[in-house]
Amino acid sequence: MPETAAVSIRNLSKSFDGTEVLRDVSLEVQPGEVVSILGSSGSGKSTLLRCINWLEQPDRGDIRIAGDRIGVSDSGKPMSRRELAGMRARLGMVFQGFNLWPHLSVLRNVTEAPIHVQGLSKTEADERAMALLEKVGMADKREQYPYTLSGGQKQRVAIARALAMQPKVMLFDEPTSALDPELVGEVLGVIKDLSKEGYTMVLVTHEMEFARAVSDQVVFLDKGIIIEKSHPSEFFENPKTDRVRRFLELEAPAV
Amino acid sequence: MDSSAWGLLIQGAWTTLWISGISIAIGVVMGLLIALLRVAKIPVLHQLLGVYISLARATPLVTLVLFIFLTAPTMGINLNRNVAGIIALTLNTTAFNAEIWRSAFNNFSKEQREAALAIGMTPWVYFRRIMLPQITITSLPGLVNEMSFLIKGSPAIAVIGVVDLTRVTNRISAVTYDPLPPILAAAVLYMLIISLLVWLQRLAERKASRLAV
Repeated sequence: MPETAAVSIRNLSKSFDGTEVLRDVSLEVQPGEVVSILGSSGSGKSTLLRCINWLEQPDRGDIRIAGDRIGVSDSGKPMSRRELAGMRARLGMVFQGFNLWPHLSVLRNVTEAPIHVQGLSKTEADERAMALLEKVGMADKREQYPYTLSGGQKQRVAIARALAMQPKVMLFDEPTSALDPELVGEVLGVIKDLSKEGYTMVLVTHEMEFARAVSDQVVFLDKGIIIEKSHPSEFFENPKTDRVRRFLELEAPAV
Repeated sequence: MDSSAWGLLIQGAWTTLWISGISIAIGVVMGLLIALLRVAKIPVLHQLLGVYISLARATPLVTLVLFIFLTAPTMGINLNRNVAGIIALTLNTTAFNAEIWRSAFNNFSKEQREAALAIGMTPWVYFRRIMLPQITITSLPGLVNEMSFLIKGSPAIAVIGVVDLTRVTNRISAVTYDPLPPILAAAVLYMLIISLLVWLQRLAERKASRLAV
């Protein structure tokens, strides 16, 4: 018996106002696997990621998280808000724009969902949050508010916030695209550590070298279609299609 | 002015304060509820609330006070003056507050909402824990502004015989034949009430500036 996939996407299609952004996309992410989704802007990669936690609703196809379908309940009807929230709690998401809650301190950003969604006591949540803030190197900033932090620091807090729900899968939507170049490294370092710890991750990124170093599988999207799906060494050294070859020449000429 | 005149003046101030205070308290909460209902865009209800807001905002307070006080008995409702005054002030301020809350809803960051939903919050938890604390602070300057308008407009309830801080000055000068001192004293009391509100508003603005970044 094969292990149940952490994320299983089957025949996903999605249009915005008549424009098809995803066409019949299928993808499996195994537990512990790191999958990078690459492609030029407008290729549909962020939409694909946002469908996984139902921030975007696909028109066709289905998505399962550890075997359970998201968005649609067993009876075939759309999930209730509560059921959907329960499914989303199993997925951690990190956004390009950090999306921290400005009225809460660093520590309270991280403890908010464990306390008010999972029902942890404040003491338990604080303990869990402090361990995670330690991990991302932000423990000494716990009492500060988001506006005092740099972009890299905000993103590290956002990662700790997502991890605090102990998700089965972490989703990263261009986590370094909004950062100044000198701050990219500190965020990538944290994500790399997570990959070593065995977290299951799906990553949309423009950092080619990084994708190559951390991924077990690389997926290339072009106009909403997966045109290559392979191991990073093969993808970067031996791309099967001209489209990917051209992309790599533009994006990562040094590699 | 002797001490009995001051006593009357303080009584009038107290009437203005408690009638306005109750209207403000109900009006802020009702305004929030109406804004929520309007944002939900429930058919028919949405249009009805829209009509209410337009009417309430377009009607002068004095007209509204008289209308409530005079129509209630025709429907068999026996309204005490104070209650009629509170209803009229509340209907007026609720409409303005609903618009203040609604604009705060509409301007609220979509990104924060996505972060909350993605982490597993239901829309209700998101509203209560993430959105409400922030829109309360950002709406406060507007709400406090509206509160001070209401207090300054509250002498309208004198038309149905409520003896408020303005009306009481008439009563005092009817005895003393010297209208200026009670009017000046009333003005000072209004200024005290409003400056308390303005002070609260400053406090809120200082807090809000932290959220603006």
